[in-house]
Amino acid sequence: MTNGRWDPTDDAVVVLEMAAGSEAALETLYDRHATAIFAAVYRLTSDRGTAEEVVQETFLTLWNRAETFDPMTGSLASWLHAIARNRAIDRLRAIGRRPSMVGLGALSAPDEDPNQALERLAARGTVVAGSAPTDDPATATAAAATRDALRNAVAAMPDDERRVILLAYQEDLSQTEIAERLGWPLGTVKTRTRRALLRLRTVLGGEFGPFPDDAVMPVSAGEDR
Amino acid sequence: MDHEETREQLELAALEPGGLDRLMAGDTPLAQSVAGHLAGCESCTAELARLRRSSALIRTDLREMLPPDLKARTLATIRAEGVQRPLAAASAGVAVMPLADGAGGAAPTTPATGTSRRRTRAWSTFAMVATIAAAVVLSVVTTSLVVGRRVDDQLAQQSLTVDALEHVTTTTFDVSAQPDAEHVQLAGVSDPTLDGSIVYSPGTTELVVVATGLTEPAPGYEYRCWVEVGGKRERIGRMFFGHELAYWAGAVSAIAGASSPTTFGVSLVDVSATTLDSQPVLVGSD
Repeated sequence: MTNGRWDPTDDAVVVLEMAAGSEAALETLYDRHATAIFAAVYRLTSDRGTAEEVVQETFLTLWNRAETFDPMTGSLASWLHAIARNRAIDRLRAIGRRPSMVGLGALSAPDEDPNQALERLAARGTVVAGSAPTDDPATATAAAATRDALRNAVAAMPDDERRVILLAYQEDLSQTEIAERLGWPLGTVKTRTRRALLRLRTVLGGEFGPFPDDAVMPVSAGEDR
Repeated sequence: MDHEETREQLELAALEPGGLDRLMAGDTPLAQSVAGHLAGCESCTAELARLRRSSALIRTDLREMLPPDLKARTLATIRAEGVQRPLAAASAGVAVMPLADGAGGAAPTTPATGTSRRRTRAWSTFAMVATIAAAVVLSVVTTSLVVGRRVDDQLAQQSLTVDALEHVTTTTFDVSAQPDAEHVQLAGVSDPTLDGSIVYSPGTTELVVVATGLTEPAPGYEYRCWVEVGGKRERIGRMFFGHELAYWAGAVSAIAGASSPTTFGVSLVDVSATTLDSQPVLVGSD
C-alpha cells in the first residue's frame, strides 16, 4: 500500500497471505516482530522462559485470529504487542507477581508514539507500572546500534564460545556450573569465556572503552589448565 | 598478582551478577590479591570501571536476545495447536476446524473516501479474502459432517468448490497487486443483508466479484454479473455458488482501459434471457 499502491511487503498484505494458509507468510511475520516482542515481554517479566512462552502464544493467536486484525485501526506491531503484554500480565498475576518497573517503550509498539501509547494504555486501564522516560531518540538509536553489533558478534562467534557466553549471561551460571553443564574442564570453560569476551570487546571497543595495549587472546594451550 | 591474572579475575567476576562487588569486598585471599594489585595499577583500575559499564549492558542485551530455536518451536506449536487454514487444509485434503472468532463473516469495510482510500484498498482485499476463506471452511466443515453413501459425492463436490475458491483467492491477490487495481463495494438494492465486492484491473482486464447473502436461484434462473460503461450494460458472467458465497473470476474485455465512471451489478435473470435490463439485486459504482 505504499504510495497508494498495493505493497506485497506490507504487514497487512502478509497477514492476508497467512490467513489464506501460507506458513511462509507466518515465518515472515515472526522474523519481523518476534525479537521486539520477546524483548518487551522479558523487560516486563524478567523471565526468559515466560517470554518464550508468550511469544509462542502471541504467534499462535496471530495464526488463529488473523481475521480480527484490522489494519485500519493500527499497525500489526501494535496489535501483537498488545496481545503479548496481556498474556504476560496474565501470567504474572497467576503467580502473584507484579510486572517489573519498565519504561513506556516496553509497553508500546516500536512504531508507536509514546504519548499515544500512554493514552491508549490509560484508556484501557492497563498501565501497570512506570519508570523514568526512555532515552531520547539519538541515545536510543545509538543503543540499538550497539545492541545489533553485540548480537551480531555473538552470532558470529565459534559455537563453543557462544555457548559459554550465553550460559553465563542468560542463565547466570558460574564457570564451574558451565563446566558441569557442558562436561568440559573448568580451564577450557574459562579460556573460551575470555576469548568470547575479547571478541565482544573487539567489536564493541568504541562503546566500552579503549582496548588495552597489553590484551592478548587466550590460546588453546591454556584450555585445560 | 600481575596485570593478566588480575584482568582474568575481573572478567570472570564480571560475568556473574554482582560478581565484581563480591570480588571488591576483599574477603577472600584471591580478592585481597586483586585489590592489592588494583591499588597500584591505574590501567587495571580503568579496566575494572570499563567492565562495570559493559557487563551490565551485555547482560541486559543478551537476555533480551531471541533464542534461535524458538522459531522452530513456535511453528511446531502452531502446526499442532493452531486452526487449519483454508488453503493449507484444502491442499492437504483434510477436514478443518472452524476458524476462531470473527473468521466466519465478512470483515468490515469503509467507504473509499479522502485519505482513507489507501487503507481501504488493502482492507477491501482483506475483506474479500476473509470472505472467501470462510466459504472454504464452511465447504470443508459441512462435508466433514456428511456420513453414509453420499460422502464420496460430497467430497468430490467439495474438492471442486475448494479448487474454485482457491482460484478466486489467487486471482484476487493477483488483481489487487496491479498498480491500477480498483475496488468496488456492492450493496443490496432492496435487501440490505446482501453484500459484495469487486476488484478489477483495467490494464489486465482481470476481475473478481464475490457476494454474500444470495441463495442459489431456482432452476431456470441464474444470477448474472454485469458492467455498465458509458451507459452500455454488458454481461460479465454467471455467478457460481460455494457455501454461502457467490463468485466469478476472469477476464472482462468491457473494462479494458476503463477510466470513466463504471457501474457494476448482479441481476437475477432467466437463463434464456439475452438482455440485462432486469432490476439488479446488487449494485455499486467506482
